[in-house]
Amino acid sequence: MKGELETPNPVPLAVAPSDPTGEERLIPVPDITIVFPVQTHKAEIEQVLDALGGGLEALGFTWECILVFDGIKGDLWRRATEIQARTRDQVRTIALHKSFGETVCLSSAFEHSRGGLILTTPAYVQVDPQDLSKLLSAIDDGADFVASWRMPRVDSKLNQFQSFAFNWVVRKVVGATFHDLNSTLRIMRREVLEQVTIYGNMYRYLPAVAYRQGFRVDEVKVRHLSEWGGASVFGLGLYLRRALDVLGLMFLARFTHKPLRFFGTLGGIFLLLGFLLSGSQVARWAFAGEGYGLFQRPFFLIGVLLGVLGAQIIGFGLVGEIIVFTQAKNVREYRIERIYE
Amino acid sequence: MPDHEMPYSAGRPEDGPEKSRGPAVRPDGAVLAAGLDGEPSARPMVDISLVIPVFDEEENLPVLHAEIVEHVGGMGCSWEVIYVDDRSRDHSFQVLLDLREKDEHVRIVRFRRNFGQTPAMSAGFEHSRGRVVVTLDADLQNDPKDIPALVAKLDEGFDIVVGWRKNRQDGLMLRKVPSKIANRMIARISGATVHDTGCTLKAFRRELIDNLAIYGEQHRFLPVLSLASGARIAELVVNHRPRIHGVSKYGIGRAARVALDLLTMKMLSSFAKSPLPYFTMLSLPFVAIPILYFAVGFLGADSISFTTRWAQTVIVTLGLTSMAGVYFLLLGLLAELVVKLNMRSDRPMTSPHPSERVAPDHDAPLGPQEAAF
Repeated sequence: MKGELETPNPVPLAVAPSDPTGEERLIPVPDITIVFPVQTHKAEIEQVLDALGGGLEALGFTWECILVFDGIKGDLWRRATEIQARTRDQVRTIALHKSFGETVCLSSAFEHSRGGLILTTPAYVQVDPQDLSKLLSAIDDGADFVASWRMPRVDSKLNQFQSFAFNWVVRKVVGATFHDLNSTLRIMRREVLEQVTIYGNMYRYLPAVAYRQGFRVDEVKVRHLSEWGGASVFGLGLYLRRALDVLGLMFLARFTHKPLRFFGTLGGIFLLLGFLLSGSQVARWAFAGEGYGLFQRPFFLIGVLLGVLGAQIIGFGLVGEIIVFTQAKNVREYRIERIYE
Repeated sequence: MPDHEMPYSAGRPEDGPEKSRGPAVRPDGAVLAAGLDGEPSARPMVDISLVIPVFDEEENLPVLHAEIVEHVGGMGCSWEVIYVDDRSRDHSFQVLLDLREKDEHVRIVRFRRNFGQTPAMSAGFEHSRGRVVVTLDADLQNDPKDIPALVAKLDEGFDIVVGWRKNRQDGLMLRKVPSKIANRMIARISGATVHDTGCTLKAFRRELIDNLAIYGEQHRFLPVLSLASGARIAELVVNHRPRIHGVSKYGIGRAARVALDLLTMKMLSSFAKSPLPYFTMLSLPFVAIPILYFAVGFLGADSISFTTRWAQTVIVTLGLTSMAGVYFLLLGLLAELVVKLNMRSDRPMTSPHPSERVAPDHDAPLGPQEAAF
């Protein structure tokens, strides 16, 4: 936070050309832009650049790389600027004042990218660069977005299980076949990022979002080389966040234009439950002759409470409908592939 | 990307409602940015646009197009036909490309995936450039022969003319009876006294099209929505033919959904402009009953005493329900805020008096929908 207010900030904000005279030094428009979000000081910039850059060159592709420093400064930044100077801006750097997350890294890098294909990469050599050819041949085959699937995995069984469970839930919710959303080595056509508005923490769910928008998303098995960190049970907060992500994803995928269906169903269930609960208590009070007053029956009050809750949830649905209705012209629910005049 | 430019900035009152109309106001420039679409204002307007959602209709399309050429082409005005391919699974798209090769009136909008009929219509509306927009189904059940009559009716001074399949050629139990019930309900609830809202064959004036934004499954409620934006509505008996090729994409399962949509629609079309009174109405029973109860109790009516066990039950129950009432009031305020932040509610359709067309009597008093029947 303090870096934001203090001036001068040592870190430039946007792409920093290594040549301050402004002379045009950029290489001709490359085939592929590598987007590399740098989120930790441990990021293995050199190794990744060697692996991916070398792999792409071996396949005959030209490339550029944009390193996005997500609030990271210090030695790593210095090394990156050196690389930028050495590679004559084939590798460029963007620095964000503070950590904004991978999604912002991607969108800000995208603004400065020039390649027709965007390749995103994790911060270390996670999968075999040889497998880039598989990803790229899926693009040749007509895919708009190619996700990687680490298979077989080399990390701990615990991680594998957590990952499996997570992907299974997302698969069920989105209705598509993704097996490894946590693997961020991905290639996408430029138009995917032009047409998909990404925000929040959508980076992880990008294949699912692109799929929902009607892009062809392929998944390719790649060889898993290494994994940072050992077996770990993550904090409760992380699981909670993932669950919320999935809930949001489901809501947006299915109910963006009909919030009342979602809230109405939920509220209706509560209303019904409350009605049954309090109704049964009233019935017993009136006919069973147990001698307790309604006031002495907590389930009666809980039933009334549930009913009130249900009514409130439905009220939220109504507000949701009004929001969608008033914004109808802003939200377009279809995606056009092409117009043939 | 011009993605986030305010689409409604053009609709602010100081600009006058005239400027807010016209397809130049385009939300979500994503597709435009991809260079797939020219600047709409640069394209010449035509007299009539046909908007036809297409989903798996490969056998019907050539016949349909031949009929369109015969009847619309024979009207002696400029026209175009926009086929919206909702990602058909058969060869409809190839058939459309062939049609486009042969006929320059054909334009094709192709979706990335199957999105449904309402989005298809909405896309067709958005990319149409006709002064009059006519929608029809691709399944040949609508007869293009009726189009000249619809347009003529529109020229009498209406904003929307709805087809009425008086002699419907569909299965009785599965299609006709549910449709009759649905139409009755729609008419009763919405006040749009149209016999057949489900008929796709409709004609719209450009000004109305630009004022409509449909989503979900609202294509069924176009007459209701039109009425809500102040349109003058008429209907016309049209021909309806049995289906020859392909299969119907609808079953009876949609009845419940339609009913729910209808209620939503009713709420939206009447309350979306000023939601607070509506929410207040909803909260009224929750708040009024407790107030009444306590008032009577404090006034010392013998029948109500606050000390008995019965009274304690009632007090707690009413206290709880009054919470719901307060909640509804607050939600109403929230909804009001949302609506007021949006210019749409302040932007009624300017009644499109067709100055250059022959319009004999359209200055007649309001409520021409009654006069039309």
